[in-house]
Amino acid sequence: MSNRRPKIICVTGGKGGTGKTLCAVNIAIMFKNEGYKVLLIDGDVENPNTYLLLNGRLENKQEVPFFKPKIVEEKCSKCGICAQNCMPNALLHIKGAFPIPMLTLCSGWRLCYKICPENAIEANSKTIGWTYSTEIKGLSLILGELKPSEARSAAVVEALLKNLENVVEYDSEKFDIIILDTAPGAHCDVELLIDTADVAIPITEPTKFGKLDLIRIMELITLLGKDCRVIVNRSSLLGFRDQFLKELKEENIIILGDIPLDSDIVNSYCQGTPIMDNNSGFNKEGEGYQAFISIFGNLKQWLNINNKIKVKKLNG
Amino acid sequence: MVIIAIPSMGEGGLNDEISPRFGRCPSFTFVELDNNEITAVKTVPNHAANAMGGAGVQATQIVGNNNAKVAIVGFLGPNAAMGLNALNIKLFHAPATRMTVKEVLDLYIEGKLEEMTNSNVASHYGMGGGRGMGGGRGMGGGRGMGGGRDTEGFNNP
Repeated sequence: MSNRRPKIICVTGGKGGTGKTLCAVNIAIMFKNEGYKVLLIDGDVENPNTYLLLNGRLENKQEVPFFKPKIVEEKCSKCGICAQNCMPNALLHIKGAFPIPMLTLCSGWRLCYKICPENAIEANSKTIGWTYSTEIKGLSLILGELKPSEARSAAVVEALLKNLENVVEYDSEKFDIIILDTAPGAHCDVELLIDTADVAIPITEPTKFGKLDLIRIMELITLLGKDCRVIVNRSSLLGFRDQFLKELKEENIIILGDIPLDSDIVNSYCQGTPIMDNNSGFNKEGEGYQAFISIFGNLKQWLNINNKIKVKKLNG
Repeated sequence: MVIIAIPSMGEGGLNDEISPRFGRCPSFTFVELDNNEITAVKTVPNHAANAMGGAGVQATQIVGNNNAKVAIVGFLGPNAAMGLNALNIKLFHAPATRMTVKEVLDLYIEGKLEEMTNSNVASHYGMGGGRGMGGGRGMGGGRGMGGGRDTEGFNNP
């Protein structure tokens, strides 16, 4: 049944360092505080660091394999069909010689493997990264890491999404809420994650860089046909808050709320204790804390989640 | 006897200018040397010049398929270097000045070119269609240093 499917929220933002992970972690924690079962997926595979904000550790390391063509010389007729049809030109073929794989160019499509008339290409694999899964502070966390020097980060994101697919398909009641944290930018890794989500929350900041990158990421979100609402982080920076919020309004951008500069948030970030964690001990009247409370209220309203009991009734 | 591949600017040939780019040069000039005497010259257009990616590998195939054992190159990207090394093609670095194929060949014969083994620029360095050599040509014929440096920073080793 469709309403059993967990809600999937993608926290993204275009620009780097705007507070995507901060927001993803604290939104996840706020759902957990209300009794929801939450899965957090860190899709920033080039800088997988969500576990640091939760003061946790990486566990259950699994390799992410990637196709690696191997030429079986006993079978190869040196015809060159593999090289002629390889779009990224990842096979070097000289007349009368065995083709030579250029692994850094290989896209992993396996076309050579499939079309070789002599079946002379074996599908070997190499490790291009790892996934980890762990439980921290009542949250389930899945994280992907791209091996340094490897280029195909989207393949690691795809491995994460395969994990997610298995969860949604085989154990749909295991989680109520799934939060996807993306890398900066509007590239294919980010696209894959937004496309998997029901809604997207871009995080921005009141600077020209923040606005430019926000508009770029919103273009991508619109292209993917997803609804989105924005969080403006560090909104009190240099006194541009009101002007920035006005500019967003003029662009018909709806915001969930804004988070001012707040020393509790900075402390929580450095300690690896999410400010919204019940046991964090931060001032519940503080500006940062209250900002998250307000954002969470708007988020639930937007997603039509009133309280946990209602969700359960729907499921039943 | 040895065949030498030289990336060239136009349609190629001894009097054509050398191209600083390998994977995306407009053409290759292949020169057959026997006891340092030129015994044959052949030009081949580089169909990889406008490839989206992997131009270095495709250009390497052209060089390999024409039986070259030596290549004289300016900028060499990592994929091309990997391919040329895999084919055991000896690499020499062309000086960062404008000169003709014949001029660079003379330097090779005189043993004045430095051998190289690795790439000297990043992937896709030579992309960005048609920028190539800029600047006025100025200095007329004759050997030695030609005028007008290339706008892409050809003087960068």
